[in-house]
Amino acid sequence: MAQLRQDYEKFVRLDTEIIVAGPENAEAFKNYWEKEKLPFIGLPDPEHKVLKLYGQEVKIFKLGRMPAQVMIDKSGKVRFVHYGHSMSDIPANEEIISLMKSL
Amino acid sequence: MPRVELNVQSPDFTLNDFNGKSVSLSDYKNKKNVMVVFNRGFF
Repeated sequence: MAQLRQDYEKFVRLDTEIIVAGPENAEAFKNYWEKEKLPFIGLPDPEHKVLKLYGQEVKIFKLGRMPAQVMIDKSGKVRFVHYGHSMSDIPANEEIISLMKSL
Repeated sequence: MPRVELNVQSPDFTLNDFNGKSVSLSDYKNKKNVMVVFNRGFF
């Protein structure tokens, strides 16, 4: 998250919004966002609606507990997916940023 | 391991953000790219 915040401006310059979805409730999101001063959109998803949707329809997920990133372009197509194998398995933002630049 | 289907249309979703504002993926269509990060807890 800290890394993502640091790189947020780079994403903004590439016309990219960041949405962070997670299983916590709105209050937990709010507290965390305020504490960490995060600029992105926070989507509490305690019922795993988005997770399930993506797991079922795009088959990105094994409905596990691992982090994942999905990049969707302006036309609504999935252009990048990373499914983490562990909590720390998160792709470098640079990797995603350079991909966005090539679109 | 289940994997990626790249270049397919991404399913739309609508949820409220933590301030109660409705956010849909389709809000961004033809406007912005979106990176959705599925997070596994903050702590």
